[in-house]
Amino acid sequence: MTVRQRFPAGPAVDLPAWLARRDRLTVGDERIVDFLAAFAHRLLKPGVTRVRPELAALGFFLRPVELHRAVGRARECTVDGLRVPRGLVLHIPPANVDTLFVYSWALSALAGNRNVVRVSPRSAGAADLLLDALNDTLAGADPVVGATQLMVTYDRDDELTATLSAACDLRVVWGGDAVVTELRRHPLAPHARDVTFPDRSSFAVISVAGWHAATPARRRSAMAGFHNDAYWFDQAACASPRAVFWIGADSADAQAEFAALLADVAADRGTTVEPAMAIRKRVSAYGLAADGLVNGVRFAGNAVTVLDLADPAAVPRRWLGTGTFPQATLGSLAELVDLVERRDQTLSCFGFDRAELVELATALAGRGVDRIVPFGSALSFTPVWDGYDLLAEFTRLTTVSTTW
Amino acid sequence: MRTLSEHAFTRTQDERAAELAPALAELTAHHRIACPGYDRILSALAIPRDRAYETVADLPWLPAGLFKTHELRSVPADQVFRVLTSSGSTGGGPSRVFLDRAAAAAQTRHLARTLRAVLPGRRLPMLVVDSIGATMGSSARSAGVLGMAVFGRDHVYALDERTRPDVAAVKGFLAVHGREPFLVFGFTFLVWQHLYEVAVEHGLDLSRGVLVHSGGWAKLAARAVDNAEFRRRFAEDTGLTRIHDYYGMVEQIGTVFVEGPSGGSLYCPDFADVVIRDPQTWAEQPVGVPGVIEVVSTLPRSYPGHVLLTEDVGVLHGVDDGDWPGRRFGVLGRLPSAEARGCSDTLAEPR
Repeated sequence: MTVRQRFPAGPAVDLPAWLARRDRLTVGDERIVDFLAAFAHRLLKPGVTRVRPELAALGFFLRPVELHRAVGRARECTVDGLRVPRGLVLHIPPANVDTLFVYSWALSALAGNRNVVRVSPRSAGAADLLLDALNDTLAGADPVVGATQLMVTYDRDDELTATLSAACDLRVVWGGDAVVTELRRHPLAPHARDVTFPDRSSFAVISVAGWHAATPARRRSAMAGFHNDAYWFDQAACASPRAVFWIGADSADAQAEFAALLADVAADRGTTVEPAMAIRKRVSAYGLAADGLVNGVRFAGNAVTVLDLADPAAVPRRWLGTGTFPQATLGSLAELVDLVERRDQTLSCFGFDRAELVELATALAGRGVDRIVPFGSALSFTPVWDGYDLLAEFTRLTTVSTTW
Repeated sequence: MRTLSEHAFTRTQDERAAELAPALAELTAHHRIACPGYDRILSALAIPRDRAYETVADLPWLPAGLFKTHELRSVPADQVFRVLTSSGSTGGGPSRVFLDRAAAAAQTRHLARTLRAVLPGRRLPMLVVDSIGATMGSSARSAGVLGMAVFGRDHVYALDERTRPDVAAVKGFLAVHGREPFLVFGFTFLVWQHLYEVAVEHGLDLSRGVLVHSGGWAKLAARAVDNAEFRRRFAEDTGLTRIHDYYGMVEQIGTVFVEGPSGGSLYCPDFADVVIRDPQTWAEQPVGVPGVIEVVSTLPRSYPGHVLLTEDVGVLHGVDDGDWPGRRFGVLGRLPSAEARGCSDTLAEPR
């Protein structure tokens, strides 16, 4: 097996010996907090954020104030005991979202776990930059960080995956249905379990009344946020809004303004959709039309394609190409409840008040939708993700009782 | 009434445009009636059924990749005579194109007329630069070889079953047929790697041959061989000067764009044309400005493939100013493929 050790840089560890080690960290271990803070400091340097704005978001996420808040919240949840690390956590992050492996790993390290992260051989760009920054940060860090945290890259290797799966106390699998199913072939120890992040789909939901009530400036800034949500990861991240549901009557004017504003923002920001992607979008859009699922197809340049759904219940959930927005109008949020499926993750919303959205979440009753966020926040990673409180997942509870 | 002996490269651009625009408009109307999926696409694009089309470039195009994801045909299922498949180099399954008897006959007839421009009326002895095994199965490669094989006789295959040159077979072919006109056919890369290099090594005389080849230059770019270099070295080192690259695709079967005798440009048969489109605005590009190639042909009647946008980049070289009348153009390569970032590692999978 060819394993490339990415972190800590240097001579490769003896893996069986490493897996058998017994180093101890605690939940919210200050040595880890210090390391993450120093790492965040590097990411927030102007030279980095200028080139890779998505790393700034990660840098903010890892500031000590954020980390202490997350740990504090995790501790509060403990009713009758104390939160302890799970032990050894294996992370299988996706190839396509370069920064996600750090979010997954950092929270688990903060939880006091020893971690093995399998960095995809297909990852590049930001991932390499992050690994360099992690290794640079290690120089000034407590040796326990390098001793307890390991990041490796290896090509498909069933034997190694099986070894790591058997050794870990928790396995965290990102990357969609196919990856989760593939990983499940490798048994865990009886006490261990998986946290899985399968294929998800996400929508935007807009109140027609709320849209009209907003000032033009407010609508434009909302669309700037929506543009981030949709285009940052080519509309292909699990939380990227794809279909747009309009709630209320007479949505035609609002829909037209939405498309025009989005095209405007895209033009302002120099959003380019490559020709091959533009053609791929046509294949998706024309295909849906041929199938009778869509009865209107409109383009605002290559960046924005709007599709009118013939039946909102048949909303396409698969990726249709960057900047493709099937849309439909529903009478009320209650009608949306019937359309939601287990795989639906994030609703990016505009024009509703909190009570309406809480009522929606209550009516959904867990059948789908894990996050309801305002425009501009769809891709903001939080310690609660996909319905999991990650710090809780990455820890166990030890109860201590002294009364009979 | 044209006769079969007349070749297919006769119309000036004005003559061609005057014929093609109404013929393609008629085909558009025909497919809207005969193919409900096609009609739904045009309706979703808000194109009225009675819309008039002034020019070929006004006609609505379908992306050729749609034939990979959708079964679009304008004949009832029980009249389908042949289903052609081809896997392209971009994602999705193979393209599937449906021919009834009339369409199958028409494509062979039109291909023959097209090739008449570069081949004599009689069949020539034919050297196929491929293995006989490659002609089995249903790949695009085998379809290409089989489609062309009917224009030759006494076929000899220049490659063995492991795709290595069969030098004895080539020498044997030349010993029998090398002093009369003969046809050489193969994919561009194989022709270069397995015929040119063998011919040079063994001092073979190919001067009486007519080479018809296709497949693109991407694989040869690594060897710094482009069309001009290909022609120059074949001519200098083997005597082969009658060389015709051609461009065509299964989604428009029977329509091929053929390189003229002086080389470097592809020409459109009278029943076809190309439009080069700006990849941002999709407007027509002028001569000399590269864009995405749209191919149009009056041949596809059994499926709505008469106006197709390819994923190839090309450029118009000129109009009515080359070996044959009409537009002449070059193919510059394929559009770089569209990759997306995202959480799922299996993005484009259908649910």
